[in-house]
Amino acid sequence: MSNFLKLISNELKKIYVVKSTWIMYIVLAVIIVGTGILNNTVGDIQNSYESDSWRTQLEEENANLTQEMEDETYLETYNSMVIEQNNYYLENDIQPSGYGAWHFIMENKMLLSLVSLLTIIVAAGIIANEFRWGTIKLLLIRPISRTKILISKYVSVLLFALFTLLFVLIFSGITGAILFGIEGMNPYTLLEKNGSLEYVSVIGEIISGYGYQLIILLMMATFAFMISSVFRNSALAIGLAIFLMFVGNQIVFFFAERSWAKYILFANTDLSQYADGNTPFIEGMTLGFSITMLLIYYIVFMLLAWIFFTKRDVAGN
Amino acid sequence: MSEAAMELVDVRKTIGKKEIIKGLSFTIQKGEVFGFIGPNGAGKTTTIRMMVGLMKLTDGDVLIQGNSIKSNYKEAVREVGAIVENPEMYPFMTGEQNLAHYARMIPGITKDRIKEVVEIVGLEKAMKEKVGRYSLGMRQRLGIAQALLHKPSILILDEPTNGLDPAGIREIRRYIRKLAEENNVAVIISSHLLSEIELMCDRIGIIKNGELVATQQVHENVATDNLMQVKIEVSPSEKAIEILKTEFKIQAALEGANLLFQLEKEKIPEVINVFVKHDISVYQVSITKASLEDKFFDLIGENTIE
Ligand SMILES: Nc1ncnc2c1ncn2[C@@H]1O[C@H](COP(=O)(O)OP(=O)(O)OP(=O)(O)O)[C@@H](O)[C@H]1O
Ligand SMILES: [Mg+2]
Repeated sequence: MSNFLKLISNELKKIYVVKSTWIMYIVLAVIIVGTGILNNTVGDIQNSYESDSWRTQLEEENANLTQEMEDETYLETYNSMVIEQNNYYLENDIQPSGYGAWHFIMENKMLLSLVSLLTIIVAAGIIANEFRWGTIKLLLIRPISRTKILISKYVSVLLFALFTLLFVLIFSGITGAILFGIEGMNPYTLLEKNGSLEYVSVIGEIISGYGYQLIILLMMATFAFMISSVFRNSALAIGLAIFLMFVGNQIVFFFAERSWAKYILFANTDLSQYADGNTPFIEGMTLGFSITMLLIYYIVFMLLAWIFFTKRDVAGN
Repeated sequence: MSEAAMELVDVRKTIGKKEIIKGLSFTIQKGEVFGFIGPNGAGKTTTIRMMVGLMKLTDGDVLIQGNSIKSNYKEAVREVGAIVENPEMYPFMTGEQNLAHYARMIPGITKDRIKEVVEIVGLEKAMKEKVGRYSLGMRQRLGIAQALLHKPSILILDEPTNGLDPAGIREIRRYIRKLAEENNVAVIISSHLLSEIELMCDRIGIIKNGELVATQQVHENVATDNLMQVKIEVSPSEKAIEILKTEFKIQAALEGANLLFQLEKEKIPEVINVFVKHDISVYQVSITKASLEDKFFDLIGENTIE
């Protein structure tokens, strides 16, 4: 194993040896199973449609939904949406794929904000904790440059995010498969886009949905990592990063009228604003502009983290 | 024996406007155990932090086996094993995991070597236990084990006796002597207690307010091992002091009815003889071995916190 890989394995060991990391995973697992069971019992989801009878199945479903709507008016919006989707299938003569593991994974993309949260916690601690424990001294007096140690820590944060993401994907897949079955190799689904229904690939939706969130995750984790390096304080890094993650959009809305609003990080983190049909936060912003802004922020974060980690004395507090 | 393992060249450190280290220069030879003595706040830890590259030097240089810690950091620090201030380890990992962690950072450390250092510090039984549950002395030992992993040619220990019981100190002393004599390792030990490390040092340097105020070869003292701290009750004492000054060139201090001074053991009867000849009554004589501590007490004194 090369030197650098050993450094990364050290960092990962330090992340995964502590109980709280495993508690995070258990919480994720409970949430996934919980939503799955909730979906299974509360929502009356049709798992599969037979190839010879799916039309009658859909018509029966519509009849039930209409009946239900009359009895319980609060179900109106949801039920009429499902009816509309069913009609789309009938009109276009498409057999629906039904609900299954892929759909479940797709819907669980909201769990990525939780993955971001966990990654922020890890990123915030990975430097600051060494200072808190006092172990930074023994870590740095090795024939390894501080830059290399910093990079190994950063890469370990990214690996942690990747593992956690894979955990969400795979565990959702397994839970979905057990509870709902698997709806084929490449299922399609109806999603409302630009006010009308579109027939889209579920896997495509998973990739784009998770992808957009990963950009936010990457930026916020890098931000927390930078704060951790500059202030050597994990509570500050966690607090600031999570606070900004939650109020980021409000900040943008609050300053939306100002000419410099588009330069705010959070005006640019959600790239789905450029997906077809969506309108950007602020008029005149383009995908290219946002990517440039994200790159600039990213480089600034990394540079600050690097300067403070490599140049500052490790003195007593 | 006269090859330099580490050389400090006019090392200075200023933090903010405060000059903490004011031009330290000294050399530590291979195979030499150097005691770095000073009161609290004298600058021992700060100097050690600079020696291992945790702090930048404001001025001057530290050369380790000829490599500058400033310009040749990796080559320089490869030769060094250290504990700085407290022996802090990852509390949530076992002793074994902690050592494995540091072993992974330097190529060529085998499992056998890890076992070896564990035996050296006598921690075999605690290896599977979490460090968070270690006593201070156990952590100190683990810290030393960690510093020895890569067979450094320079070992820097900041107050290693802190938290050790007398048996532990004796063990460490024996081990450090062995490292220096058999493996030619240069050892730097800091302490504010001269008596604790006196027995393991070849030479001591005394630092006070960021300056080296004295260095002393310890075996010189051992050679004049029979130098005694003499306490003698006489009257009239003024006359006795006068006689000591003129006949023996000894500066004696008066403490109550007692005179205090240092003298070789063989000369004591002679002094008493002279006193008797001069009609000075001698009531009692007590002698104790003079330690380096006695010798340097005035020098060390208390650090004036600036
Ligand atoms: N980060 C810092 N900022 C400002 N002053 C500092 C800093 N670190 C140490 N000092 C000052 O430097 C001086 C020397 O401190 P140092 O820790 O080197 O002493 P020491 O000799 O190791 O003392 P002790 O025996 O208590 O461990 C002290 O006066 C201390 O106040
Ligand atoms: Mg100290």
